[in-house]
Amino acid sequence: MMLPLAVFTIAFGLAFGVAAVHQGLAGWEAMLMSLFVFAAPSQFAALEMWHPPLPLLALAAVTLAIHTRHMLMSAALYPWLQSLPRSQQFAMVILLTDSNWAMALKEYQRGERNLGILLGGGIALWGAWVAGTAIGLAFGGGIAQPERFGLDVIMLCFLLMIVVGGNPRAAMALPWLAAAASALMAYWWLPPYLHVMVGAIIGGMVAVLLPERWFGKSTV
Amino acid sequence: MNFSPVWQSLIAIILMVVIAYGSRVLGLLIMARVPLGPRVRRFIDAMSSSVLIAVITPIIVHGDGGVRIAAIAAGTVAIILRSPLVSIALGMFCAAGWRWLFTI
Repeated sequence: MMLPLAVFTIAFGLAFGVAAVHQGLAGWEAMLMSLFVFAAPSQFAALEMWHPPLPLLALAAVTLAIHTRHMLMSAALYPWLQSLPRSQQFAMVILLTDSNWAMALKEYQRGERNLGILLGGGIALWGAWVAGTAIGLAFGGGIAQPERFGLDVIMLCFLLMIVVGGNPRAAMALPWLAAAASALMAYWWLPPYLHVMVGAIIGGMVAVLLPERWFGKSTV
Repeated sequence: MNFSPVWQSLIAIILMVVIAYGSRVLGLLIMARVPLGPRVRRFIDAMSSSVLIAVITPIIVHGDGGVRIAAIAAGTVAIILRSPLVSIALGMFCAAGWRWLFTI
């Protein structure tokens, strides 16, 4: 179960490395991100905003909006980690990502109580992500015209895949439509980068206003 | 705000690290005190996918034909086949193909 996921992660890391080179990031910037941020969606989203002078506030806001989800994920793990001392609880969630979280939670619901699967899975994915980034950086720099090979759409396809492939529910159609429309209008008429926050908040609000039964039982 | 580019990058990355790790820890801290209600969960869940929608919509709308066809292909594959790598690969292939056909 872990091995295919690690192979995928190497490929994603590679895609990130190539996209980062194409976006003009220095090698060390991309490596630092993969080493320490270790979160594909926010790293790809950051690439999109990586034009000097860096929009620090917008960058922070976008990262925050993406990562509030991780807050829900670690909250779902709380019953499992409850018995550990606080410092170990914190250490266990350093390498928490969408994929190893989903896997670990499935094992937990099946009765598994060994936390090794959470920590070990995290370490394996982290290694794969960092290695993939390094390969992508090394290999992406040698390509003269990245558009001709479609390398510039990696980031877009990745983010799109995360959104619609992760958990396609019909109930999310309206919130996403509202997010897309409001983001586009904000993109045209508001100061730069505000469109991301506008879309996020409108999407969240529409989801709250819709009838609860549309959503059914959510895992998060 | 007169940082050199290197410092800007470092600050940006440190910000991202703090937020990324902070949100993981915050979930534990909040649960230790008060469980989140279903409405709050739904808001956060929808917000974290909507933020990505908001990032990609202008790219698609203002992109060239290659970008748009890549988005359609990648999105369709992601929904139907649910295979992430095929989705990205086909998106790249479509963009490259489009540009090969329609530029120069």
